Amino acid sequence: MEDGWLARVRQKLTGGKSPAPRDTWPDWYRTYREGYAPLPPPATPLDEISIVVLDAETTGLDVRRDRILSLGALRVTGNSISLADKFEAYLPVPAGFDASGSVSIHGIIPNSTRYHHMDEPTLLASFLQYVGSNVIVGHHINFDVEMINRSLQRHDAEPLWNTVIDTADLARRLRPAGYWTPPHDYSLDALAKRYSIPLSDRHTALGDCYITAVLWLKLLRRLAVKLDGDLVLGDLVKG
Amino acid sequence: MPNQVSYRVYDFLKEIAPFSYLEQEALLQVAGRVEVRYQPPGTVVFRPGEPPRDRFFVVKEGAIELFSEDAEGNELLVERCGERDIFGIRPLLANDNYIFLARAAEESLLYAVNSEGFRELIKEYPRVLEYLATSMAGSSRYALEYRAAHRQERIPPEEPPDLPALQSIHQSREPVVCRANETIIDAAKQMTEMNVGSVVVVNDERWPIGIVTDRDLRRSVATGMVSRKAPVFTIMSSPVLCIERKATVTEIQIEMIRSGYHHLVQTEDGSDKSAVTGVVSEHDLLLLQGNSPAVIIQEISRARTTGYLRELRDRAERLLASYIEKEVAIGYITAVMTQINDEIIRKCIKLGLASMQAEGHGNPPALFDWLALGSQGRGEQLLRTDQDNALIFEDVAANRYNTVKGYFLKLSDYVTEYLNEVGFDYCDGDMMASNPKWCLSVSKWKEQFTTWMIETTPENMLNTSIFFDYRGVWGDGSLPDKLSQHIFGEMEFKNTRFLASLASAALQNPSPLTFFRNFVVERSGEHKDFFDLKSRAMRPLTDAARVLILQAKQGNINNTLRRYEALAKLEPQNAELYREAAKAHEVLTRLRAELGLKRGDNGRFVKPSELSQIHRLLLRNSFTPVKEIQQLLEIRFQLNYIR
Repeated sequence: MEDGWLARVRQKLTGGKSPAPRDTWPDWYRTYREGYAPLPPPATPLDEISIVVLDAETTGLDVRRDRILSLGALRVTGNSISLADKFEAYLPVPAGFDASGSVSIHGIIPNSTRYHHMDEPTLLASFLQYVGSNVIVGHHINFDVEMINRSLQRHDAEPLWNTVIDTADLARRLRPAGYWTPPHDYSLDALAKRYSIPLSDRHTALGDCYITAVLWLKLLRRLAVKLDGDLVLGDLVKG
Repeated sequence: MPNQVSYRVYDFLKEIAPFSYLEQEALLQVAGRVEVRYQPPGTVVFRPGEPPRDRFFVVKEGAIELFSEDAEGNELLVERCGERDIFGIRPLLANDNYIFLARAAEESLLYAVNSEGFRELIKEYPRVLEYLATSMAGSSRYALEYRAAHRQERIPPEEPPDLPALQSIHQSREPVVCRANETIIDAAKQMTEMNVGSVVVVNDERWPIGIVTDRDLRRSVATGMVSRKAPVFTIMSSPVLCIERKATVTEIQIEMIRSGYHHLVQTEDGSDKSAVTGVVSEHDLLLLQGNSPAVIIQEISRARTTGYLRELRDRAERLLASYIEKEVAIGYITAVMTQINDEIIRKCIKLGLASMQAEGHGNPPALFDWLALGSQGRGEQLLRTDQDNALIFEDVAANRYNTVKGYFLKLSDYVTEYLNEVGFDYCDGDMMASNPKWCLSVSKWKEQFTTWMIETTPENMLNTSIFFDYRGVWGDGSLPDKLSQHIFGEMEFKNTRFLASLASAALQNPSPLTFFRNFVVERSGEHKDFFDLKSRAMRPLTDAARVLILQAKQGNINNTLRRYEALAKLEPQNAELYREAAKAHEVLTRLRAELGLKRGDNGRFVKPSELSQIHRLLLRNSFTPVKEIQQLLEIRFQLNYIR
């Protein structure tokens, strides 16, 4: 499984070494980076590590222009998803954005009092604290990570350091695209349908997280059958 | 704010008992702490001997199978838990390790409910524990689990398996005790005399050292394994589990679930180093919980004595009290109580048939049915009232008639006696199957009804009002059906006059209110100054319903509420009045049950002064439809000429 492309580019540029903490970093980002523990060895059984399933709802699909509206995350340990240990945060719709389009998709009413809104740095800080050094899993996750990275950069921080796994890639690995499986069949909807996961609460950050988390567990199971053995971290992440 | 995902979990759980008993707020909190567990097929949820780790499971999708292991390590399937089933909760309440192996039979998703918060909730929601305790006591899975759980500690392995059944044990205020060296037969005699299910074995200081239950007796003595002359200590269970005298029901329940013991001994200080003060059995707890109709009906079928039937009917009354208190719909309550009463009648008939057999009278010489009359016939009886019943048997050759009737009269003697022992008093007017007048063949019954319909004397009209609401409770219904066909056949010819007389009888008790809008109270006799709820308010409504439904030729509708419902459909112009009448009848039924339960009688007579303001108002409002329905009868049957 491939790592985040940014991380790889970054590793090439820096020769695989982390740059020294910069003075300009906000405190919360420094805490995150200084506390960052390297990935466990590839032989670590997968059910011994925690991963964080992440989903971001945004004003649109253009990473340069669009902004994050909400962020949801759930931690999966072994075969369990803990609903108590969740992350959920909302941002107000930034000025200059017509939010009506995203309302129809996400059901998020702009600046509604139903949600406890926070500002972007607070959201980033609390998310980094939540995610720590866990592997991040998500569906088409590179988009979500890139949205977060752009946001981090706007606040004088550097990108996420975590290893990232895309459930769409995992699904493709289990059942490559071909005549019977056209490429668009790797959407979350199509996969949820294929692996019989009820599509309730679609297009809320946490609802999508939950669906992705169940998908993740179901896909892992099938990968374990395919590889004929208990999964280790190395089966999913190239060292 | 709870998130969408925990809302989804909440939505799922709120339909499932015992979660359904929690308030939204509390359940949302439970849902928010749920852990969703994915179990691929063949994976293990827990193994025997593992600690329960503060969670129990609800199957969200898929299926989990529970296995027990026998001595050779073979897996025996105990239960398959499908969607919405709960498992793994006993070890948690009992602070015990898992006994079973739980394994996914299919790809499954489980909700692991964090018990930490749940345990707190149990204290606030007694119904949750009630539910758990009752469902565990009634389930063979948990019975098996109990046994397995303390096999190691208590039951020797060579013991034959014996599913603990719900036993009939009375709780004794004063515990029945005996000494360890008394003979088993003496202990058994004492238990029988005192009518208890267990005896506590004590030492010189009255400290409990063991307990002998009727189950122990059955197991050891009845099977001939131990001599009846042997001292009790050879068969007693020891040590006993003790609890404090002031232990709450909740504590007792938890202790029973934890230990799997069916009897707990109450002592002065809760240890076995102090004097015995009482015994609580699992059975006593079931009694306290008000029970479910299903448990009562099941127990009725197992009952062997009228004494126990009486106790069950008392339990049904407690159930009724909780229904009344919770304002359950009267239609539902009467359906449940009618079913319980019918079951008791059937049991009494079975006991009667057994007695006939035992006396050498053999089997019934002809097909017969037992007719419930009056309120029980209409399926409206809540509290035990006098018996009103009759017996009908198929036509037999004339030369056999007297022998056959003789058999059924004797049978009815037994049945009415048993019903009396259960608490249904003999009928003052002797309207019972044991009366030769009301134990007849189909043809004789037809003649009888024809006579009633022709000779419309006041006495006949009274009989009609009771007998016309017959309902067979024993046979296949074919005999009562023959009677109904006959009656409707007869009505083609004797319709008008008969119905008019019937309607006139329904007006026997005029307005229940005096001119000054006071209640009409009885002027003399035992119930002087009491208001007769039954004859002044309910009777006019039931009588009117009967006449109108007969006129409408809807003979198969045998219940006042359903009669008015049907009438409302048949006569849309009067629908509102009929619905009001039905509602009034419901209010009166409820009020009568409430009063009867409070006073321990059938609730028929009420002193206006003992009514609360709200009851008086309800009662008074119910009189309006009584009056209006009487006016309707008067006009329809042109009764102002007759009276």
